[in-house]
Amino acid sequence: MKTQQKNRRCKDIKNRLFKALSRQIGPDAVWVQRHIASCPRCRRRLLRTSRVSVAMQLLKSQPHSLDLLARANNKAVSVLKHSLRYSDKAQKLKVALPEPTIFERLRKYRSAAVNVAACVTILLLIKTGMFSSSIKFQNDGNNALHNYYASRVGDEIADEIFPI
Amino acid sequence: MAGQVNIAGLSWDITIPEVLSGTQRWVLSAMQKHGPELVTMLWRILANEQDVCDAYQDTFLKLAHYESGQKPQYVRAYVFRTAANTALSMLRHKIVERKRVQMLQIQNTTNTGLDLNSGLLQEKLRSCIARLPKNLREIVTLHDLAELPYRQVGRILEITPATARVYRCKAIRLLAAWMNKSENQI
Repeated sequence: MKTQQKNRRCKDIKNRLFKALSRQIGPDAVWVQRHIASCPRCRRRLLRTSRVSVAMQLLKSQPHSLDLLARANNKAVSVLKHSLRYSDKAQKLKVALPEPTIFERLRKYRSAAVNVAACVTILLLIKTGMFSSSIKFQNDGNNALHNYYASRVGDEIADEIFPI
Repeated sequence: MAGQVNIAGLSWDITIPEVLSGTQRWVLSAMQKHGPELVTMLWRILANEQDVCDAYQDTFLKLAHYESGQKPQYVRAYVFRTAANTALSMLRHKIVERKRVQMLQIQNTTNTGLDLNSGLLQEKLRSCIARLPKNLREIVTLHDLAELPYRQVGRILEITPATARVYRCKAIRLLAAWMNKSENQI
């Protein structure tokens, strides 16, 4: 259990380091951009890589027809065993449509969830801050009065009036 | 899965695990679970619906006949690797066929705008991916086209995520160099 936690912590730190380093030395870093602006050789290199990423984005952005999954399933099921081919699951697969994953479905609620989380955090901070501050002020006040009476009438009476 | 057996003259309904039953229902489960991702990956590699269906069918046929119908230990890894390899070998065949008529096409087509350029760019990228060495090609296919995170890619290819990152970086550099070269040639 402890090893797992340690491994998770290591992974977390590694990911954070990677992100921080990427910000500092990645292509979007200010000093890199400044250098690229003045260096034709690096500009050419970046241009080449950008061409690949543009082509990749274009590939990803091409949608396929909605019934492609159903057709592919139909074709794949048709070459399976007889018992599989006519099972209920196979019949469902033959008319299956691509569905967004749960993360994709929840993506539209992300900003709302972030806002709610921020509000809750602020409320918690205010509440805990207010309570802890009021308790602290009360204790400080008691201590001050206790010290005052202790110096004037002695510790015993001060303890009786303002017990700490 | 339910089955019936006759013991002492009576028929008993019993539950048999899918793997042991020999009915290979896990093939259908794999199809249900990984089908959408596979179709997306195959579409991005092949860009032709008929070819996607063929590669998909081939993948699940191979899965059903893997070691005389045994379930592979890692179905996801098996399915993704098989699909990617099948699709890329189909793509290579297509590229060879296309090269025969390429010159004629170049003579007949004129640069008419963004649509044509984007199509050419995609075709160029596909042919460059098909040319990549196997280890780099698998990374690009799984990470960029199937959009699997490095952790999963590493698990499928039995390498560490860090190695996957290094391979991907090398692959992008190679692709950039080749795409730039072919651009200059045209």
